[in-house]
Amino acid sequence: MVDEVLLERVVDLARSQGATYAEARFQEDASESLTMRNGRVLGVNTSVSRGVGIRVLVGGALGFAATNRLDQESLTSAAAEAVSRARAVSSLMRSPVEFDESRVGRASYEVVPKVKLEDYSIEDRISLGKEVYSAVGGSLRQAKLSVLTFGVDTHIQKKVVVNSDGALVRSTVPRVYVWVNFVENIPEKGTIQRRVEFGASGGIEWLKEWRVVDEVAEEAKNLENVLANGVEPPREEVDVIVGSEIVGLIVHESAGHPMEADRILGREAAQAGESYVKPEMIGRYSVGNKYATVIEDPTVPGGYGFYLYDDEGVPARPRYLYKEGMLHEPLHNRHTAKVFGTFSNGAARAMTYAREPIIRMSNTYFKPGDMSFEELLEDIKLGVYMKSYMEWNIDDIRWNQRYVGLESYLIVDGEITKPVRNPVLEVTTGGFYSRISGVGKVLRFYPGTCGKGEPSQGVPVWFGGPDVKLSKIKVGVAL
Amino acid sequence: MSHEELAGKLISELKDRFENVAVKVVSRDSMMLKIWNNQPGVLQTWRDIQVSLLLGKQRRVAVLEFRVSSPDELLAATKRVGDLMPKVEESELPIELPEPGKPSPLEGGYDRKVLEYASDPKPLVEAMVSSALSAGAERTAGTLELEEINTTVATSKGFEGTYRRTGVVAHLRTFKGDVSSHWAWGSTTVDTKKLEEVGSKSASFLSLAKTKAFFEPGRYDVVLSPLVVGNLMNYVASMSSGMAVLLGMSFLSRKKTGDPIASEAFTLVDAPRDTLLPGLAPFDDEGVETYNKPIIGQGRFISLIHNAATGRVFKARSTGNAGWINPRPWNLIVEPGTSSFESMVSEVKRGYFILNNWYTRLQNYVEGQFSTVARDIVLEIRDGNLVGYVDRVRIAEKFENLLKSIKGLSREVYDITWWEVRIPTRAPYILAENINLTKPSI
Repeated sequence: MVDEVLLERVVDLARSQGATYAEARFQEDASESLTMRNGRVLGVNTSVSRGVGIRVLVGGALGFAATNRLDQESLTSAAAEAVSRARAVSSLMRSPVEFDESRVGRASYEVVPKVKLEDYSIEDRISLGKEVYSAVGGSLRQAKLSVLTFGVDTHIQKKVVVNSDGALVRSTVPRVYVWVNFVENIPEKGTIQRRVEFGASGGIEWLKEWRVVDEVAEEAKNLENVLANGVEPPREEVDVIVGSEIVGLIVHESAGHPMEADRILGREAAQAGESYVKPEMIGRYSVGNKYATVIEDPTVPGGYGFYLYDDEGVPARPRYLYKEGMLHEPLHNRHTAKVFGTFSNGAARAMTYAREPIIRMSNTYFKPGDMSFEELLEDIKLGVYMKSYMEWNIDDIRWNQRYVGLESYLIVDGEITKPVRNPVLEVTTGGFYSRISGVGKVLRFYPGTCGKGEPSQGVPVWFGGPDVKLSKIKVGVAL
Repeated sequence: MSHEELAGKLISELKDRFENVAVKVVSRDSMMLKIWNNQPGVLQTWRDIQVSLLLGKQRRVAVLEFRVSSPDELLAATKRVGDLMPKVEESELPIELPEPGKPSPLEGGYDRKVLEYASDPKPLVEAMVSSALSAGAERTAGTLELEEINTTVATSKGFEGTYRRTGVVAHLRTFKGDVSSHWAWGSTTVDTKKLEEVGSKSASFLSLAKTKAFFEPGRYDVVLSPLVVGNLMNYVASMSSGMAVLLGMSFLSRKKTGDPIASEAFTLVDAPRDTLLPGLAPFDDEGVETYNKPIIGQGRFISLIHNAATGRVFKARSTGNAGWINPRPWNLIVEPGTSSFESMVSEVKRGYFILNNWYTRLQNYVEGQFSTVARDIVLEIRDGNLVGYVDRVRIAEKFENLLKSIKGLSREVYDITWWEVRIPTRAPYILAENINLTKPSI
């Protein structure tokens, strides 16, 4: 770890040199990973990143400096550089950056694994990779398994955040992540490819819950059916049941991202983009119907994006992004909160010591309803059920989006029937949230790594939801 | 401790415990100024060292990456990895580092002015922003990055080499009303005129958006800007890695050398020895001399890119593209053609000009099936004229179809690096026929 007194000295030094705000964040990220191909080891990887990121406000300009040399001289020099370079460009500031008056915390917290990451031996990791390969190969009857790659990563993130407003927050969050990528092949039908991911904060106890071997083998078998027997989706407008995995991705892309206040203000305009949401639309504009409620909550236990205090020292809490269709509450840091005339809701987060904290999602989900899957199906005469996906994208204002189904089925008279190959859900954000006609009651979460910022920083997130029914959708087909 | 001393110390400490050891030490002194609403958003500074180790022992492979300050900590970690290795099975791609050669150094690629401007980037930022505002932009956002990178590679076979480079990466998005535009530039040297051009060229497209046009999904001829070409070729080049093929992450996995995979007019080169592009390298991470080479030459698939291990799998030599584990392209060059942007537009009866894209994602890497979304101005072309702008559209295609549909490339090329073009790419405008464009119906 780091000498906290040193961090406090750095903050004091920056203040003495003219910074109106200063923060010093120690961060250590240590990970161990294994990669295998077709049941054989490719290699193991160990990485450690440890350093201090210093952020200052000088004359309304924001400066950031990072170093992995943790002696007093190096930290002092980095702080002085952050101050002097921010000062050098402060004359260009037409609208000086200011922070809100949010209450910041002094706290320590730690996610305690039931089974420690270090107790997960390399032999056990390899054994899991072999079992997955064997089970997938064994599940196929008609298709050949062209290739299967497997990876398991364990990661411990430690932070100490100190700032000039009195915050002192220590945290330790371990995470586990397993991924499998495979390609099946039937010569006369072509190939089908799938990446499956499992991830959470906590310890190795998650592996039992995920049932990785059985889940992946089951998927492989189902995808063989899609590859061998998949038909084109109907051409006419039909009802579509969007599986929870895709719903989770949709809420991340089309509710979470457009409700990031830095995008709304234009700070990410040249990189991750802006938002269809404008400040005056908050609380006044309905993007969907009564079913459309999306929640962002860093405090979900086990969440891949779990935290209790953000990197500005602000306590985390659930935020309703969309509430019964209405744009409700954007994600804020202390800068955007000041611009919006409110208080930060604790969304500032950095993935390594060498990155500035920016507004990030954590665990984002569509609020579950009360319908069983059978109830969602029962009144559909003709429709499509899209359970999983590979290809997706969305435009830079988070309005025009596309998801290509992978494991998908035709629904006829309320029953799941033939598999459907490559159905395309290409909708606007308004189109999706206003066509919802039924919401399942089972909430499931999926891990992801969300990219944003420049330099880009990928942060772990969960996204989730129940299965959701849409009415009158024209389903496309990928080439 | 200098890079060379650190690398030497690690090699001498480790070479008796491991049969193959490679060390890479990278130090970075860099500055990035982020701009939004015509003013600085944040000025970021980094000064740090990353040390990476490749360890091979009895056909086992481990990679260690550290951003920490103490060499002793690195050695302690290698002890732990050494103890772990007997428990790891033999790798499918064991390391056998190549015998050291004498890579010829690169002349150029370093500009002292880059560091001088890093202390005071204001004149460069003002040049970018003011040229955009003068050219008609109402609002700008972008980035200026200035960096010096020093890289040392040493191996247990006796190779030791160091090179340094500087880098300037600038991109600016401009806005006027409800349309936006973008341009980018990446180089190893500072050129104020080029930075002004980032602003003025970005803004110049805004004036072409006069009236809004209606878009109907379908197949059209498209003119793609160097920004789009750069983004898509980053994907194609990454899929030329031998490891990508082994992992089922490449549409080239079913191609043989000489197979036609693109229009005859198209050549894509990996160019580590181009010293104007900031991805330059005289040698790779295994100490092998780099060289410029076509991945696709006159429409035909020429070669995958390899490190020593993937080369052995494919019965080929290293192409000087290590990347331990995963070979990587350094700089990319799409060879120019004989046309121009204006003449390409004049050839199109019904189609679109797409300035910029992002979010390229694949449904199936083996099939090369992808889509990507336009994020700035898209202009309708009718009978050879730019007639109006449309909302964001999407290209949904297969890479091979797209490459084979290329009908023209411009003479003029542009050095592009930005958020969506991470591998520096010199690219022309491209005209491609009969490309599938989509958008949502609701």
